[in-house]
Amino acid sequence: MTIILTGGVGKAEVADAVERLAPAGVEVVVCNDMDAATRLRAGRADYFLGTCQTGAGASLGVLVGLMGSAVCHTFGRSVPSEDEVNALLDQGKKVFGFAVDQIHAVTPKLAGAIAART
Amino acid sequence: MSSTVFAASTGLDFPLAQQLTVVALCALTAFLSHLALAVFNDGVRPFMLDFVQGRTTRSATTAVSFGLSAGFIFGLGAPMALSSGVLNPWLLFLPTDVLGILAPEKWLAPLLGGAWGAVVVFGLDGANDLAHDLPVDFLTAMQQMATPILFLFTLFPVLAITRQFGRLRGALAGGVELALVVLTMKVWPEVFAGAPAMAVGVLLLIGFAVAKDVRQRRAERDTAAVVTSTRGQAPGDPVAGKGAASGGPGVGGTPGEVDPMVSLFGSSAARLRRHLPLFMVLGSGVCLLAQLHVFGGGEATSFLIAKGQYAEAAQVDFYRALGFIPLIATTALASGAYGIVGFTLAYPVGYLLPSPWLAMVCGALIFAGEVLALSWIGKVLGGLPSVRDSSEHLRAAIGDTLQLAILFGSLLAAEAMGGGLGILIAGGLYLLNEAVGRVVVRMAAAPAAVVVTGIILNLLHWLHLFTPVKS
Repeated sequence: MTIILTGGVGKAEVADAVERLAPAGVEVVVCNDMDAATRLRAGRADYFLGTCQTGAGASLGVLVGLMGSAVCHTFGRSVPSEDEVNALLDQGKKVFGFAVDQIHAVTPKLAGAIAART
Repeated sequence: MSSTVFAASTGLDFPLAQQLTVVALCALTAFLSHLALAVFNDGVRPFMLDFVQGRTTRSATTAVSFGLSAGFIFGLGAPMALSSGVLNPWLLFLPTDVLGILAPEKWLAPLLGGAWGAVVVFGLDGANDLAHDLPVDFLTAMQQMATPILFLFTLFPVLAITRQFGRLRGALAGGVELALVVLTMKVWPEVFAGAPAMAVGVLLLIGFAVAKDVRQRRAERDTAAVVTSTRGQAPGDPVAGKGAASGGPGVGGTPGEVDPMVSLFGSSAARLRRHLPLFMVLGSGVCLLAQLHVFGGGEATSFLIAKGQYAEAAQVDFYRALGFIPLIATTALASGAYGIVGFTLAYPVGYLLPSPWLAMVCGALIFAGEVLALSWIGKVLGGLPSVRDSSEHLRAAIGDTLQLAILFGSLLAAEAMGGGLGILIAGGLYLLNEAVGRVVVRMAAAPAAVVVTGIILNLLHWLHLFTPVKS
């Protein structure tokens, strides 16, 4: 079971969007940045999807500081392609930030790519 | 609506002293950004840690800063300034973030920042004069924004409570607020009707959140007591251990293990405290800018400042600050770089103060207090997860209410300019922006559409195809 945590301003909407896709083998939990850092470090969760106006501030919060920038990526307000998402997952990125007004465009791509790896 | 008159309705022009203030403040903010002591963009702040610790280069950080800021400079700051005639932080401080980090030398940063300040202040001055001279004046039409902004903003605590604590408590808060608005209109007609309702709504939200955290901590303490009596700290539940460690008054606490969050936060707070005098100068500058009444700090406050409703602007930005304090505090503690406008509390204080000198003194004191309290605020927030949640719901709720208010107000402005044709063009441009994937940030799309509508209507007037609507 792959566990995705959501955080930031649109955490409930992102969790809804993931649940609506109902990807097999993926569980989504509404969380926040501080708890998420603790859970990711302890290996009790796999990915974190954060959202805010910029796609980086409240989205990533303390995660860059606690997890290191190597596993964090922000899309800002842009919408990535599937190849881009897969390339980032290949690099070992676990923490993703994106803009709250792009939730419906970005979430399915991320959730789909993560589900394809379970 | 309060009895505020259309004080500033015919164009803000900036006297020399104000222009110099803006230029000097932009020079200072670029300098602080160069030193990685403060950035305005909350999204850039998490990335400043690697820069502060020398793990990334100046040019890479510049790229991050530009990438996260460009959309908000051209998609939020510029349209808001053009449509309100008032300066805003996105237009002033996002570019100085970028320019400060970009500048390879220390002396170049303030020069670039000051130059940007001059471009903005003279450019906006010229644009304002031009807009007011046109037959179809969109700046005056934008005064229509104030009523929807103020009355819909009144509801933001209700939305936040509903999102966080469910429909029942949301409905309760909604009923209380509506009753208070009606009561205020009847009993104190000179007070803005939403003021007491907002205050009570926010108190309800904070009350629910603190009550939840206290209940949760009590429950955790009970289980922790059971666990410790059986076998020290349970290794299987690191979350409870960390929560207790960062939550202050040692509940069980894991001895010998340094919480990475505590050490990260501590070194960042110490870094910022070392530069306290510089932050005090910054604080006096930000508070002074707000006091000059040529600047609106929040997404919607520019329109209230433009209409001369300073007390209402102060209320809106004060409540907005409650949503941003936890975000700014945690990103500052996690990165070692503070916010250019601090916790944004200097805005409402500045709007209300009667004299520029007083604003400079108060701004310095506010920033000193904020920087000194940062470490403590981080500890408190660590122990109150529901309060941090509330601030996120609060920001989401503020976004929702302002979204509708700005869209509706923009359509009212479009109607005031050009009747049905105005609504058609402005509404059409807004929908077009949605259809192409939101090139302009949603919050600024409608005001930007009104500006374009104003230009189109003026062109049509010039071609004798349109007669301006007389209000």
